Amino acid sequence: MTAIQHQPLQGSHFRRILVIAANTFTQLVRMKVFYFMGIFAVIAIASNFFDLPQHEGPESVGSNVLRSIKSWSLGAMTLFSVVLSVVATALLLPKDVEDRTLYTILAKPVPRFDYLAGKLTGVLMLVFVSLLVMDLLMTAVLHIRTGMVVEQQMEMARAMGWPPEAIDSLRAETLANGPNLSLQGAVLAVFLRASIMASLALLISTFSTSTLFTTIVSFLVYFIGHFQADARDVWLHAGQEGEGVFARLAALLFSLILPDFQLFNVIDAVIEGQAMSLIALGKLTLVGLYYAVFFTFASWFIFADKEF
Amino acid sequence: MKTVWKSVALLGALLAFGAARIPYEAGLERQLCDDGLFPPDLEIGTRERIGQTSSAVALGGLRTLVATFLNLRAFTFFTEQRWADVEDTFETMVDLAPRTRYYWETGSWHLAYNAASYYINDSKLPPLRRREAWRASIVKGRNFLERGIRNNPDDWRLQASLGFLLSDANKFHAFRDPDEALAASADAYRAAAATGRALGYVKRAELYALARVAGRESATLALARRLYAEGPQNRTPTLQMLLLVLEAHENPDMNVDARAIEIFGDAQKAYDALSNHWFRTRERFPVYGVAEGLRALEKQLAIPPEDSVLNQPPPPPRGPDDWFRE
Repeated sequence: MTAIQHQPLQGSHFRRILVIAANTFTQLVRMKVFYFMGIFAVIAIASNFFDLPQHEGPESVGSNVLRSIKSWSLGAMTLFSVVLSVVATALLLPKDVEDRTLYTILAKPVPRFDYLAGKLTGVLMLVFVSLLVMDLLMTAVLHIRTGMVVEQQMEMARAMGWPPEAIDSLRAETLANGPNLSLQGAVLAVFLRASIMASLALLISTFSTSTLFTTIVSFLVYFIGHFQADARDVWLHAGQEGEGVFARLAALLFSLILPDFQLFNVIDAVIEGQAMSLIALGKLTLVGLYYAVFFTFASWFIFADKEF
Repeated sequence: MKTVWKSVALLGALLAFGAARIPYEAGLERQLCDDGLFPPDLEIGTRERIGQTSSAVALGGLRTLVATFLNLRAFTFFTEQRWADVEDTFETMVDLAPRTRYYWETGSWHLAYNAASYYINDSKLPPLRRREAWRASIVKGRNFLERGIRNNPDDWRLQASLGFLLSDANKFHAFRDPDEALAASADAYRAAAATGRALGYVKRAELYALARVAGRESATLALARRLYAEGPQNRTPTLQMLLLVLEAHENPDMNVDARAIEIFGDAQKAYDALSNHWFRTRERFPVYGVAEGLRALEKQLAIPPEDSVLNQPPPPPRGPDDWFRE
């Protein structure tokens, strides 16, 4: 009875995708991609201990260091996650073809969609774990440094005889620059952007002839994608601006085809101390999912009857 | 043929997918803008200033990181007293990170205070040019802060910094009309207080600025009375003194010495307060009734005429005319 109940699960798409994902994750880990985390650790820890030259008055002492830690850390996370997701995904299909693993897998009753989804999930698991570790390190460093800065500021405020309301206001302002939920939201935004890049690289790799081509085109799309919103604005407001037909069509095409990566620049606002609402984060997550799902299906559409 | 058909189908799907998401993305962008989470577009001038590599990094969503690097560079320019470079770098930094108060405050401080003070002592320039450079630098500092406020209207500290700059006795001569600068200072402090998050001193600072604007005595007196009535935390010597002189302005027949004793507690304290106020000539504080009050109190305290404050030479009202003398 039990065996009958388990049978559908073992043969399910979900199960197959998970197996391929776990395998891909292991494969990537063996490629020693986590080495870059050492560099991140150095950046995060160094940004805490280096007393960089700053212009600051006694009341703002240390606050800028907190912003620097966030800025360095989230910057490094963005860089590592995008590079990792593009390069790892670009490597997957050619490597499986080269090792002939692909033939073994496709010879079995594994739908091609499951294969692609599994590969992508493996890369995303790798990016997620990397970001999680980096996030933990950043939060720990930021937590320690925020405590130090608050202590220093309170000592200064008491020495200068500040009234309690002023001391509380200063403490609240400094704590807002420390680890908080918006910062975790920013890390999620980094992950979403990396997920879109990974799924886009997967799509490109299904028709690309080399890893280099996939990598270059993916990065080009990444940078151009930061202008997509400009093209969309040209299209939406072309009537008022008096743009010509050709410019309008070019803007429309540009904005329809390319993903909008500028939306994920909310990270900058969070570094600057803005709070990110759950609704905004939820809507961003939907955007990320929308792209990832579409690109995965598009990859499958191309890959479905590709001959090797 | 099949490949062509597939490519066309994929392109069609891509376009349909794009058409479906554009309204959603445009709406989300508007929401993020309203929430203050969406940075304004990078100006072409900024892209040129930060160079190709940094532009690529900034466009790749790492604008605050580039601003952090530039902040380090600005510090070097500051130590080398390269004021034009300091200004340029801060202009770029605030384009990249317009919501970071620190960059607005520090950039304005460099221009209005550090660069301006540098020009007072710059022996390489003739006095007239030094004076113009000093004036221009303070005006740039003001404009920079005002831009910061436009970008961060809810930030009370930026408003307070502007109020402080415009009511600084060493600065307001740089503006064509010091009365306008002091009135703007009072407005800035009022706006800071209106955010509801500002510290208590900004309300008093509004009074100190407004009291120095010619022709606003009635409004200032009303404010002084309101703040005085709020409690002892507001009864600083300056506020008490302004209340006295503004009452003397409103009622020229008022017995100033009696009212001063009532406010300050006893004749000696009243005399000390009036004496200090009498010497604050550089700050343009009103002195209605102060001389009469001092004379009456000197009589009460039996202070000989040779020790009278009124017979002491007031400190010279040092300002641009002294700093930029040939």
